[in-house]
Formats: sequence, structure tokens, C-alpha cells
Amino acid sequence: MELTIKNLSKTYKNGVKALDNVSLTIPRGMYGLLGPNGAGKSTLMRTLATLQEPDSGAVTLGDIDLLKQKDEVRRRLGYLPQEFGVYPRISAQDMLSHLALLKGITNSRERKEVVSAMLQRCNLYDVRKKALTGFSGGMRQRFGIAQALLGNPQLLIVDEPTAGLDPGERTRFYNLLAEVGEQVIVILSTHIVEDVMDLCTNMAIIHAGKVLYQGEPQSAISRLNGRIWQRSIDKTELAHYEQTFQVVSNKLVGGRPFLHVFGEQPPGDGFVPSQADLEDVFFTKIRNWD
Amino acid sequence: MVLQIALFEIRFWLRSWMVWIFLFIIGLLVFGAVSTDQVQLGAALSNTNRNAPFVIQNFYSFIALLTLLMSTAFVNSAAIRDFSYNTYQIIFTTPLSRFDFLLGRFIGATLISVIPMLGVSLGILLAKYMPWVDPERWGPVDWGSHLRGIAVFALPNAFFIAAVLFAIAVLARNEIVSFVAALILLTGYGVAGALTQDIQNETLAALIDPFGSRAFDLVTRYWTVAEKNSVSIGFQGLLLWNRIIWIGVGCLVFAVAYSRFSFAERRTKAKPVEAGAQDEIVPVQVPLAHPQLHDAPWAKFVGSFKIHFVGMMKSTFFVVIAVASLLNCIPSLALSATEGYGNQTLPVTYWILDLIRDTLYAFILIVITYYAGVLVWKDREERMDEIADATPAPEWMFFASRLLTLILMVMAMQAAALLGGIAVQAWHGYHRYQIGLYLHELLIRDASSFLFLSILAFFIHVLSPNKYLGYFFYIIFVAGTPFIWRPLNIATNLFRFSGRPRMTYSDMFGEAPYRAAWDWYTLYWFFFCGILAVATVMFWPRGKQDRWAGRRRNAAQRFHDGWISATLLCMLAFASTGAWIWYNTAVINRVVGPKTLQRRQADYEKTYKQYEKQAQPRVRSVKYAIDVYPQSRNITMRAEQVIQNPYPQPLTEIHFTIDPNYVTDIDIPGASLSKDDQKLYYRIYKFDSPLQPGESRTMHFTVKSKNRGFENELSTVELVQNGSFFNNTVGPVIGYNSQRQLADPNDRRKFDLKEIDLMPPLERNCTNDCRETYLGGHSDWVEVQTVISTSADQLAIAPGSLVREWQENGRRYFEYKLDHESMNFYSFMSARYEVAREEWNGIKLEVYYDRQHPWNVPRMMNSLKKSLDYYTKNFGPYYHKEARIIEFPRVARFAQAFPGTMPYSESIGFIANINKPDDIDFVFYVVAHEMGHQWWAHQVIGANMEGATLLSETMAQYSALMVMEKQYGRDTMRKFLKYEMDNYLRSRGAERLKERPLLTVEANQGYIHYRKGSVVLYYLKEMIGEEAVNRALRKVVQQYAYAQPPYPTSHALVDALQEQTPPQLQYLIKDLFEDITIFSNRTLDASASKRADGKYDVTIKVEARKYKADPKGNETEVPINDYIDIGAFAKPAKGKKYGDTLYREREHITQPNSTFTFVTASLPEKAGIDPFALLIDRVPDDNTKTVSVINGK
Repeated sequence: MELTIKNLSKTYKNGVKALDNVSLTIPRGMYGLLGPNGAGKSTLMRTLATLQEPDSGAVTLGDIDLLKQKDEVRRRLGYLPQEFGVYPRISAQDMLSHLALLKGITNSRERKEVVSAMLQRCNLYDVRKKALTGFSGGMRQRFGIAQALLGNPQLLIVDEPTAGLDPGERTRFYNLLAEVGEQVIVILSTHIVEDVMDLCTNMAIIHAGKVLYQGEPQSAISRLNGRIWQRSIDKTELAHYEQTFQVVSNKLVGGRPFLHVFGEQPPGDGFVPSQADLEDVFFTKIRNWD
Repeated sequence: MVLQIALFEIRFWLRSWMVWIFLFIIGLLVFGAVSTDQVQLGAALSNTNRNAPFVIQNFYSFIALLTLLMSTAFVNSAAIRDFSYNTYQIIFTTPLSRFDFLLGRFIGATLISVIPMLGVSLGILLAKYMPWVDPERWGPVDWGSHLRGIAVFALPNAFFIAAVLFAIAVLARNEIVSFVAALILLTGYGVAGALTQDIQNETLAALIDPFGSRAFDLVTRYWTVAEKNSVSIGFQGLLLWNRIIWIGVGCLVFAVAYSRFSFAERRTKAKPVEAGAQDEIVPVQVPLAHPQLHDAPWAKFVGSFKIHFVGMMKSTFFVVIAVASLLNCIPSLALSATEGYGNQTLPVTYWILDLIRDTLYAFILIVITYYAGVLVWKDREERMDEIADATPAPEWMFFASRLLTLILMVMAMQAAALLGGIAVQAWHGYHRYQIGLYLHELLIRDASSFLFLSILAFFIHVLSPNKYLGYFFYIIFVAGTPFIWRPLNIATNLFRFSGRPRMTYSDMFGEAPYRAAWDWYTLYWFFFCGILAVATVMFWPRGKQDRWAGRRRNAAQRFHDGWISATLLCMLAFASTGAWIWYNTAVINRVVGPKTLQRRQADYEKTYKQYEKQAQPRVRSVKYAIDVYPQSRNITMRAEQVIQNPYPQPLTEIHFTIDPNYVTDIDIPGASLSKDDQKLYYRIYKFDSPLQPGESRTMHFTVKSKNRGFENELSTVELVQNGSFFNNTVGPVIGYNSQRQLADPNDRRKFDLKEIDLMPPLERNCTNDCRETYLGGHSDWVEVQTVISTSADQLAIAPGSLVREWQENGRRYFEYKLDHESMNFYSFMSARYEVAREEWNGIKLEVYYDRQHPWNVPRMMNSLKKSLDYYTKNFGPYYHKEARIIEFPRVARFAQAFPGTMPYSESIGFIANINKPDDIDFVFYVVAHEMGHQWWAHQVIGANMEGATLLSETMAQYSALMVMEKQYGRDTMRKFLKYEMDNYLRSRGAERLKERPLLTVEANQGYIHYRKGSVVLYYLKEMIGEEAVNRALRKVVQQYAYAQPPYPTSHALVDALQEQTPPQLQYLIKDLFEDITIFSNRTLDASASKRADGKYDVTIKVEARKYKADPKGNETEVPINDYIDIGAFAKPAKGKKYGDTLYREREHITQPNSTFTFVTASLPEKAGIDPFALLIDRVPDDNTKTVSVINGK
């Protein structure tokens, strides 16, 4: 099964063009959707999760018309929205059980088992009777993935799942994802480059509603190899360098700006060749240098 | 420091919107109440100026009840804000003293709580300048009364409330507890009021009212209009003591709060879940099962319903409002079962149901309004929407599970009230549980309205772009649309959302007469709501659609197969029930717009009032043949009526006013119809040859009711399946009928009609002006014969003796004949009656009652006998051979006397609960009163002139008093008269026109002819003796019983009484009947000393002042020259209310202050002037004083 997106466009009432003729083909496995905040990732994710109507375009999941046969899609869907809340005064277990019911696990014995297993899986079993409103960010996010995984979805959409998680939690979260990711389509949107690098076999870069790149992360990096240069400079020189070079990124290393610049030719000026990474791909793509 | 903290607190609130919104709300309420007649806040404003000092202070005296919950918000926050926002760690680690902190916060919150109350002044001051107000009703701005209102009520009440709430907040540190406590305070206030409403405890009630409202009420209750317009009171008398007590209590409560307040943090119950530890553990790798997924929408529906329902039931607001509503409802059920004179009624189910509706349903409407919004927006507000919306659950499930949640929340409140109602019945020892009736009325009849409203609310919220607009549109729709139908002149329920005919349940007929219409309208609205529900599902928000186009596309996708057929089905059913209702209500029956109805009344008056005084032939005798068809609610009345010309000149015309609900055929030989107004229902017949003086003719008329199909609102409520009760006036009434005129002064003004006529002025020796009785009807004493038939299971009753009874064609026939000619004013009834029969000196006594209401029948019988005993002995013979009491359904609530028959409503008397020994026997009293009318109205009837009701109502009242005194003794009369006096004195302050003396009382001034009449006649009896009064009455009866016109006036009675009054007491006649006389009698000092012979010398210093009041209540003192009793009472024996009379002597008092000394055989407890409080006195309690014992030396 494959998810095919064709010429999807969506303009908001306030004139923002969130999706601009987006076409993607997403195979089984982990698929990373990389883009800065406001790139249109969430709009695309919501559209795929049947929650938003595009202005035009077509989406098919296997042979299901995703925009029309919403119920068919929802039966196969697991969705973790970027932001979500929970009902007050309700425990994790009850809420999860309720969502399991909504997904269609109607046999109460089965539901109990599934919920219990899922809580253990997501390491929430000990706090299953606690009110969700008291959960920490990480716990809440794990609850989110727990509910998304209910009912063995064939299409799993997770929108910015690691925002606010500490590194340990992030790792555990990805372990969970990776486990199911082999069997089904997992679409992971993020603005964190490492996430995609670590997890995804395929990816797309989206910026201002447009797809700038789609393919394997590694091939994108290979294409860039030899065109990224690095050096560390003095803080006072930063403005000058940003004007003179195509600066891909600058990070503080030991308190001094450490620059990556893009250039077909060695820029000189003390720059040395650098091993390209996905972050360089991302920034060169969104700046449209490549 | 205290000051700074207080100022900080005040500034904190002044910056928030809350305090201003509250001020606006109170201001708006008061503004509406004083500037319009539609809004009412507290009691209705009577004849006082709209901004009278009394009105201002009265608002201030109870406004705390309205602002209590607002104060709770301020005070609770001031007390525990630091704990709820966790700022206590910062605040309490500063070097701040506990005293400064608490007192500062408290003062700040108290002062802020006063601000909303100032809405009273704001509303009143602004309303004066509104263009629509009548400037004549507004006095000058009286700043003093505003300031005194604030000083005497607003500030102390805010202080007391703040102290109590502060203490609760400090102790509980929980918002819900504070609000519930505030609600309990409110309810406790109501309960205490109900418990102390018996006027025997009024001083106590006034003192224990923490808001001083009852003290104010007690101090001002007998104020006249003039006083209300000019006087404002400060801290004085009872009010001063009340304020001292409650400010003191407030200080004490605050002291307790202070001592218990601690800066320390308490154990917090709900700690956030600590996550850290578990994260270190590697997740257990549990194999995930792969369960089968099912569509199973019903299972999803049930599950969703459960989770919403549990969530809502646990929500703070619902707990608070449910507790509040039940606190409002249940104590009302338990306590307010009163029927006047401090008596209780049996808690019959329909009555409990009405109370539940009155006390609970406002809360239910709030719950529907609020929670419809909460439920629709819940997922989006909790940000659960994306998760829930992405699950494979159908939209209808989202909607239906929430709708069911809301309905069951409402039903849970109803069910709690239902159980409360049954518990109250059991507690009162009333074991006739009509469970079916409860369930039907609450859970079908009323809950169906709530269902319709809920669907509407969901629909509006689903279409609304946000929750607050949703609330706005819903409230505008629900609160606004009822007001547009009158201006649009639309009466049909087809256009009013959820509109159905009003129903009155009766134990006698259930809801039978209304049911067909109600059922059809219910179906009609059910299908309409079905369409709304489908639309709600189609547009149910799912996901994040920012445009209508998206919503529409979604809706179009959802709208398929089943939904299309369901919609078409609903529409078809809606249209066809609508058509059927239209056919029934508007084609075979009529729906008349409210404006049209009024215009007809106005046109009737404008067109035909000219004939009001025109001489008309008079009815001499009538023979009726009446068929009652209870099942179809129809009657046919055929009559042969003899009319006569009693006047010296020939009559050329006869006029009739026709009842529009009946088809009337009139046949007058030798007369032709010259005008037939089919719109205003007025007919004029011209005699071919004029009716000569003294000539009689026989006319016929046939009157048929035309009940077919069902109506928009029931018009002939007198015809029912069981308990039909109609008067002879359903037939054509001769002449102009002034009762058909518009009565409301505003309506009259709208149609350019002048103020409604008062009765003609009283004349002495009148002839022509006394030709008509005040009952009107162009008839004198008539003979009546009736053959009346009804269905086989019912009894039919007409006036007079039953001559014969037979069955024919499966129907029962009864023939009645009046034993003596009577007023042309009687009724016919038919129902499935039980009959209690007894005999008194050859007169048949009968009580016709419904099998379910046997309780008070023996009392009625007893009263009939005792009344006949007294009246025949003291007034004159009873001319009928029967005396009947007949129960009729509770569509009306009165008892009425017709010749020999007394219809008595199901909802009074029959359900009175007289079980305590000192209860006033209300049933006995009402029967004695109606029996009194058999002499006073049905033998002696006043001319249509001022004072007419003195001859009927006051005399019936006196008669009843005498029978009651014989039966229950003097002490009971003291209690009874205390209520009568109280009612009179209170009512005169609310008089809309002018207070009249008894001699010239208007027919609608019940508080004068009943209440003052009782007091005055009883006093006269005490002064000149029962025998003297009865001699006078006997004389009046002898002279005027069944006399032909001219009819007597009140002079006839007063003259007769005057004849029987000894010379030195002649002044009484003027004081009691011709003037409005008020006394202010009090005892300044009472002391006793024991004598050597064991008796006591008693000395009392008394003050006696006498006033005459003008019609507006302005009083002028007049010199006193009266005979007034002085006396002394012993201490009441255990369980008794009044002690034995040790001394009673009439003294001639000629100056305000006097001292009397007398001897009593034993030690008196109380002594004083007018000890039985027989004179009209605004403060009767100070007539006697507790005797202080002086050691005799």
C-alpha cells in the first residue's frame, strides 16, 4: 500500500498558501516530513488525517480516495496531532479505553487487553489511574502515541511528536515508532533534522507550501557533498560573513560562531571542506541555493 | 498596612471587568423594574412613586440576596487567591502580619461587594429620565433614602456576607465549598422565612433575618402610599436591633476566621503525577494484540455517552447548580404548603409538580443553555478534537451521545426533585402516590420541551463560529422570540418553537380536554426537531474547517441514503402534521391573534356602550333543556325564557351579547333581527309591536357548543370529560356586558378608551338608579326549571330540587326546579361524582365530590349544618330545600355561591390539611361564608352602586365569623382576625386607586369588603352585642329578602345597625363605615402588686390616639372620645396560645394619656388597652405589656 498525493493545494481564509501543488508518493516505512515552522506540514498532516478539506488535489491510500472515503481512511488511521489536550477529570486508562472504543475495539475484554498492553508498551501502566491533566509533557506525548497506535493503523501520522521531550524520552519515543514503522506507512513531521536522519528511509522537505525535495535522506546528503565548507570566526565578523557568503548555518562552538557555507567552489578565506549533513540539505533547500 | 492591603485589593477588583458587569446586571434589573411593568423584582410596585424612598430602601433591603453569589466570587478570591495561584510562598514569606493581611483583604472584599448593590441607586436614578416613563409616577430625587439604603442595608449586609464567606473560604480553601455554602445560606434564608412566615412569630422573624429585609418589612408593612412616598428610615426600632445583632455576629465570625487562618500550606490533595522515576525503567515489551475492529456505532454511542455523562456530572458547575436547584426546590416543597390563615394543604401530586416547575425549571433552563455549549465545544476546547475526529466514529454518534448526556442531566435533576416530592408527601403522611402522573408530567410532558430546546441549542452551536456567539444566538432566540408574537398578532403555536397548548392537570379529568391538541403539536415539533437534528449531524464540526465551503462539502458527503430518507420522512411528517394541525385549529376552529382579540373588545365597547343604560326587557323565568356530552365536550342548551317589560314606557328593542364560543339561535315571536354583529357578537331585535308596560312574552333560544377537532388553545375550558361547569351566561345575555371590556389600563389607553368606570356613586333613597343589582343581567328574581341529561356514568346538577331522574337511550336525565325564585345567576355541572348526603330539618345537604378527594367532606357537611343553624335562627328562613357543595376541576380556584348550590374548586378546601388543634378550619370557614351568601346576595342583594358588596361579601364574612366563633371559640377568632387585620393593613398600602370607607367600597376592593369588613363587624358586635347586630340584620332581611327593585344600598344596612347602636356609641357608625379610622393604642407601663387578700392591684398607663385617613393614606389625628376596653390576661396554660381573661372593662377615654387601676383575682401576665386588638391599629402588639410585679409594702 502506498499513499499518493497529487497536486494538493490549500489556501487559508487569511490568504496564507499552506499547500501549493504538493505531490508526494509515500511508501510503507518511516517517512519524514521536514520543514520549518509554518511550512504547511501540519496542514498536510491534517488533510491526510481527514480533518481538513483541501482546495484542490487528490489523495489516495492504496485504492481508497482519501478525500471522499473518509471513514475507510479513519478505520486504518492512527493520528497524533501536534497539539492535543484531554478531558478533565479522567484517567489515562479510561481515556485510552474510550478512544479504543471509538476506533472500533468494541469487545470489552479485548479492549481491556489492548489498552493494558498499550499502557505497558508506552510505560504508562503505573500511572494508568491518574488524571491525564496531571501528566508531564513526555507522559502526555506517550499517551498520544499510545492512542495513535490503537487498532493497528496502516497509516500512522505523527505531527511534531518530539517537541518538548527530553533526549531520553525522544529516544524511547522513536523506538516505539520504529517498531511499528516497518509494517505500515508512518508519516513523521518535524523541524528537527536529526529525527529524520535517524529514523526515516524516505523524506520530503517542505517550505512555504511547496515540496522542495523528496527522496532518501542519504542521497540528498550525497548530492551536497563537496559543496559545504566550514570555519570558525569571530563574533564581530558575523555580519560581514553573512553578506559575503551563502551561510547555511551558524552555531556557537566554544562561544565562537562556527559557520557552514554553501559553495560550488572552495570559498577560501580559511574555510575548509565539511562533511555535509541533512541539516545542510535542509537549509540549502529552503534557501533555494541548490 | 491594613489600609494599603485593602486599597490594593480594591484596585485589583476595580481593574477587573467582573465588578462592573455585576453592577451593570443589578442596575439593569432595577432599571427595568422601575421603568417598565414587564420586569418585576421583588414585589410589584403598587401605587407608590417609582422612586419613592420606600421603593429605594426596599430594593436595598433584599438586593443582597441577588448579589450574594457575586460577593462569594470576591470574598473567596480575596481569602484564598494565594493558595489557588500558588503565590502564597511569595506573600507569606514577607514580614507581613497575619492581622494586617487578613483584615486588609477582608475590608477590600467587603467594600467591593457593595459596588454591585449600588446598581439599585444607579437604575432608579437613570430610569427617571427615560422618555417612556410616566412623570406623574416619579417623585423628586431623594438622596437621603439612597444613602440610608446603603448605610442601613448595603454596607452591613455586605459586611455580614463577607464575614461568613471569608470564614468558609479560609477554613475550606475550596471554591466549590464556598459557592455551595453561599447557596445554602440563600436557601436557609428562604427556609427560615417560610418557617417564620406565620405572623405569630413576626418579631422573631424580623430579628433573625441577617439581611434586615424582614425587619424592614415589619416596620413598614402598614405604611400607606403617602408614607411610602415620603419617609425613609434609618437605624431605628427593630431594624436597629437587627443591624446590631448581625453586625455583631459578623464580627464574631470574622474573629473565628482570623483565629483559624494559617499562612502555612496544607497537605495538598492532588499532587501532579511525578513522572521522573518511571522513565528510567525500560518499557516492557508487550506483544500487541491485533483485535478485530468493528463499526458498531451503537457501542461507540453508548461508550461516548457514558464518558460525557460521567464527565458532566462531575463538573463543578453542574454540582453547584444541581445542589442549588434542589436546595431551592425541596425546602419549598416541604414548607410552603399554605392555603391562607397559616394553614397547610395536602401535598397533592399536581401541586407538588407545580412547585417543582416553579422552583427547579429555571435552573434546568440554565443547565441546557450552558451545557449545550459546553458539550458541542468540549472536544475543541479540550483540544481533543483532532484525536476524536480522526477515529472511525460517525458524526451522529458525536451528536447523539452528547444530546443524550444533556437530556439525562436534566432528567437526573427532575428525578431528584421527583424523589424529593414523594419524600415530602410521605413526610406529610400523604400516601396517595401518583407515580404515573409524576413520570408523565416530568419525564414526558416537561422533558419533551427540554429535549426540543436542547436540540435547538445544539443546532445553533454547531452553526455558530464560536461558543459565545452560540450562547448569544440561543439566548436571543429563546428569550426574544416569545415577545415578537404579540406585536405580530400571531397566536398559533405552529410558529412558536416548541409551542404547545397550555394544559392544566386535574385529578378529575387528567389532561383529557387538552390532550389531542398537545399530542399533535408535540409530534409536529418532534419532526421539526428531527430535521434540526439531521442538519446538526450534517454540519457537525469535524476537523479544522476554516471555510463554510469545506463544511458544506463535508455535509454533502455525509448526506446520503439513510439521511436523505430520514430527512424526507421528517419533512413529510412535519408538513403533514402541520397541515392537520392547521386544519383543526384554523379551519374548523379559529385562531385569533392577541391584538385582534383586544381590538374586538375595544370595538365592542366603542360600538355598544351607548346601549348600556338603555331599558331592556327583564327575564322572569327560564325553562332549560340541556344535554351534556362529556366525551365530545359539547352541550346543547335549549331554553324557553319569559321576558317582561317592568317599565312604564313601551320597549321597542331587545339586545343580546352572545358568547363567541357557542352557536346561538334566538327566536322571539313578534320580533325581527335588526342588527346581527357577527364579529362583536351583539344582536338587536326589534319588536314588531312594542313590548307594552307589564307585558310578558316568551322567547326561545338554543345554544350549542361547537367543539370539533382540536384547538390551538382550549377555549371552552368549562366543558370537559369529567367536571363540566358552566353558567347560564353561556346563553345570550340581555344588553351590554361590561365584563367584556378591556380591563388593563395600558390596553385601554392604547385603544383610546377612557379609564374604566367605577361603580355609580352611592345614593340614599334611590329608585331608578337602584333598579339593577350589582350582578347585572337585566333580570330580577326568576323561576328556573331544568331538564339536564348527561352520559350514563355522570351526575348532572342544575339549580333547585331534583324533581325526577330517569334513564333514556343510555343517558341519564335529571329534572330540577328552583324552590324559590332567585337571582338569574347559576351554574350547571356534570361529572362522575360521589355524593355525601345528610339532612337538616328537612333540607337535603349534599356534597358532590371526586372519589379521590374525600378528606374534608365531613367538615363541609358540619359547616353546612352549623351555618343553617345560625343563619335560620338569626337572619331568617332558608327558602331552598337543598344545600349543595359541588367540586369542580382546578381550572379555576374559587368557591362561589349560587342559589342553593356552592361550586367549590378541587384545589382549595378539598385538599386543605387541617390537623393541628389551633389551625383555622379553612374549609369550615369557606363553606360558612358561601352559605352566608344564601342570605347575603341570594336574598338581599345590593343595587349596582358603591357599597354594594358591603351587603353581600362583608355580611357573608360576618356570618361565617359567627358560625366559626360558635364552633371554635373566641381564641380562634382572635387568630383569624389577626390575619384579616394584617391583610387589610398591608393591602391598603398597595391600593391602586383610592381607599374607600366600607360604606362606599368598590366591588373589586376585596381587602376592604372581606378583610376590613371582618374586623369592623366583629368589633361592632363586641361593642353593641351580637344580638343587637343580628336584630339589625334580621330587619334588613325581612325588608329586602327577594324584594323587587329598587334594590337596597349599603345605607339600608348601616341605618339598621345605627338603630341598634346605643346613643353613646353612635360615633362608631361614622368611624367604622363612613370614615377610614385608625388607632394607635399602646400601653406604656403595666404593674401589679399583691394585696393582703391575695388579689392584685393592677395599674396601667396607656396612650390612645385616633386618626382619620384620606384615600391616599394621609392621616390626621382627631381628638379621642371613645369607649375602649382595658384588660388583663393570665399566663397561658401549657399548649395554649392565650391566657384567661382576668379583667375586661370598657372605659370612656377622652384624652391620649390615661392611667387605670383595677383588681384581679390572680397575677396577670399581660395587661393593657384594647387587649383583644379589635380596633384597627398598625401596631397591635404594643396594646398590652407584660406586667411587672411591685412588692407591696
